[in-house]
Amino acid sequence: MTSRQILMRDFLVLFGLTGWALSLPYYGSEFVVSMALTCLMYVALSSSWGLFCGSTRYLSLATSAFFGIGAYTSALALDKLPWLQCIALGAAIATLVAVVMGAAVLHLRGTYFAVLTFGMTELIRHAITYFEKSVTGTVGRVLTVVPERDTIYLTVLGLAVLSVGVSIVVRRTRFGMALMGIGADEQRAQTLGVNTKLVKLAGFAMTAAFAGAVGAAISVRWTYIDPHTVFNPFIGFQTVLIALIGGAVTLWGPLIAAIVFSVLAETLRLQFPQIYMMSLGLLLILSVLYLPGGLASLRWETFRGWWRDMRDRGKALRYEWSGDKERDKARDKKRRKEQRAF
Amino acid sequence: MSLAAWLELIASGLITGGIYALVALGLNLQYGLMRILNIAHGEFLMVGAYLTWMAQTTLGGESWWMPLVMVPVSFMILMVLGLVIHKLCFARLNATSPNLDIFEARGLMVAFGLMFLVQNFASYMWGGDLRGYDFLTEPVKIGNTQFAGNKLLVFALALLFSAALIVLLRMTLLGKGVRALMQSPVGAQLVGIDTRRLHPMMFGIGLGLSGVAGCLLSMAYTISPAMGEPYTVTALIVITLGGFGSMGGALAGGLLLGVIEALGMHFTNPSLKALLSYVVFIGVLLLRPEGLFARKTRKA
Repeated sequence: MTSRQILMRDFLVLFGLTGWALSLPYYGSEFVVSMALTCLMYVALSSSWGLFCGSTRYLSLATSAFFGIGAYTSALALDKLPWLQCIALGAAIATLVAVVMGAAVLHLRGTYFAVLTFGMTELIRHAITYFEKSVTGTVGRVLTVVPERDTIYLTVLGLAVLSVGVSIVVRRTRFGMALMGIGADEQRAQTLGVNTKLVKLAGFAMTAAFAGAVGAAISVRWTYIDPHTVFNPFIGFQTVLIALIGGAVTLWGPLIAAIVFSVLAETLRLQFPQIYMMSLGLLLILSVLYLPGGLASLRWETFRGWWRDMRDRGKALRYEWSGDKERDKARDKKRRKEQRAF
Repeated sequence: MSLAAWLELIASGLITGGIYALVALGLNLQYGLMRILNIAHGEFLMVGAYLTWMAQTTLGGESWWMPLVMVPVSFMILMVLGLVIHKLCFARLNATSPNLDIFEARGLMVAFGLMFLVQNFASYMWGGDLRGYDFLTEPVKIGNTQFAGNKLLVFALALLFSAALIVLLRMTLLGKGVRALMQSPVGAQLVGIDTRRLHPMMFGIGLGLSGVAGCLLSMAYTISPAMGEPYTVTALIVITLGGFGSMGGALAGGLLLGVIEALGMHFTNPSLKALLSYVVFIGVLLLRPEGLFARKTRKA
């Protein structure tokens, strides 16, 4: 397929999925819609995460910070501004924070970057908790005037479609190429004339804008927010998990993984919450060890490779345990001794 | 503020700091030596604490010696666990990763998975309640000030373990090998150090030390399945303060963090404690990422 055909295919798939998701509230039960909402939230979060962090391999754990900032913004602005402006404001403030944060930490790579973004998330969470406790004198906030369920659903759907669409488009632009270049070899990209600092900052800000908007849209669904729930590091962890298990560099990986996860979450979480979380951890370990490219990189060839590996290992073990190895060694030794004797 | 009050404040800060240093020992070994940022460190610490609690409540009755017996026992159990985990995950990771950067990133992800796995296993096994037992609760009087007996014991043992580890790394042949591995894995292999045996062993010892820390912590504090994460963060802060891989630095960093927190909490507000430690952490990482006490050459 040529590049243009792939572009058309991606857009058609996206179009089909959008149409299906659009019709869902009209025939699905309340339960199905709320499950779809969670799913869409993670689609938006993890595909926008993959857009920057997947291609540049900068592992950001700050998603929950931006999510929480968006949630608080819309909680504060909801009764003063119209709905869409609330969301835009949440995205804008998250972007602003991301630019400040990015300017401070984006020169660090690898583990330092991951740990620092995590530290900053916790810092923001504790700062807001402290502020609420000592200045406003509350622990959480109750949202009284909330928009209808369908409005929230449509907004989150729009954000999810937008984030996948942006991923489709961006990876074809110079900007997307620059991001990929930074992921492959940052120094080389710089030598070839990419302004890495600016590109990284823009990418980070874009991820933050999506996370902020999603936070702003979802928080009203919860109707009660406090720093502990909206800045929950678990939101960030799960985003990273979904993106990595799906394949952070790929386009459809995060989407596939988000669907798998929401189904898994809804079926297991209520009865066995710990088993759900344990299987999350196990899946992450297995995917890092055996499928570094993520679910989206799964092909028939992968299965064949695993099968071959297993067969080879089995053969080696059988060779050793049956005593053949020892016997061959002894025979070899004996032959060499005889040769020396002549 | 009088002199005595100052001394008391600093002493209590030092005691907390000693515990922080203890918590950081295992992680420091793992990250400094093998570049495995074991985010699940606190979780293994929690496992050690639960093992001790179980032994004390089921086998020990009200005895005073059971927790002390559990110090080496939890070390051994967690060391074996560490060897198994290394064999299953990190050995393969080490073999398949093309370079150190990728190894580090993947190792971090595996550790995340371990964190989810272990934490939820604990809450599945033992439930989410707070647990604890009484151990040496009567206060000890030193001069005019009083300290809890169990905290003093934990502090003393923490200092002992840190000192033992520093001596081990500086004086013995094994320590020399470990330090060589820290400086350059390839170079160490070239001069005949068996890195294939040393690597799993060091990972095991790192986990074993986190088990010891958990065992000691359970003597003085209540435990719960969620207790791990704050300790992981504390350990991270301490090893960044001290410089990754430096044992002496971690001890000094832990004590310093304890004193800073005690002073900060006294002069501002107890609810600012977490905020304060994160500010210190981010400040150090941004301004002096090689650690506060680092000179040009790295020392163990």
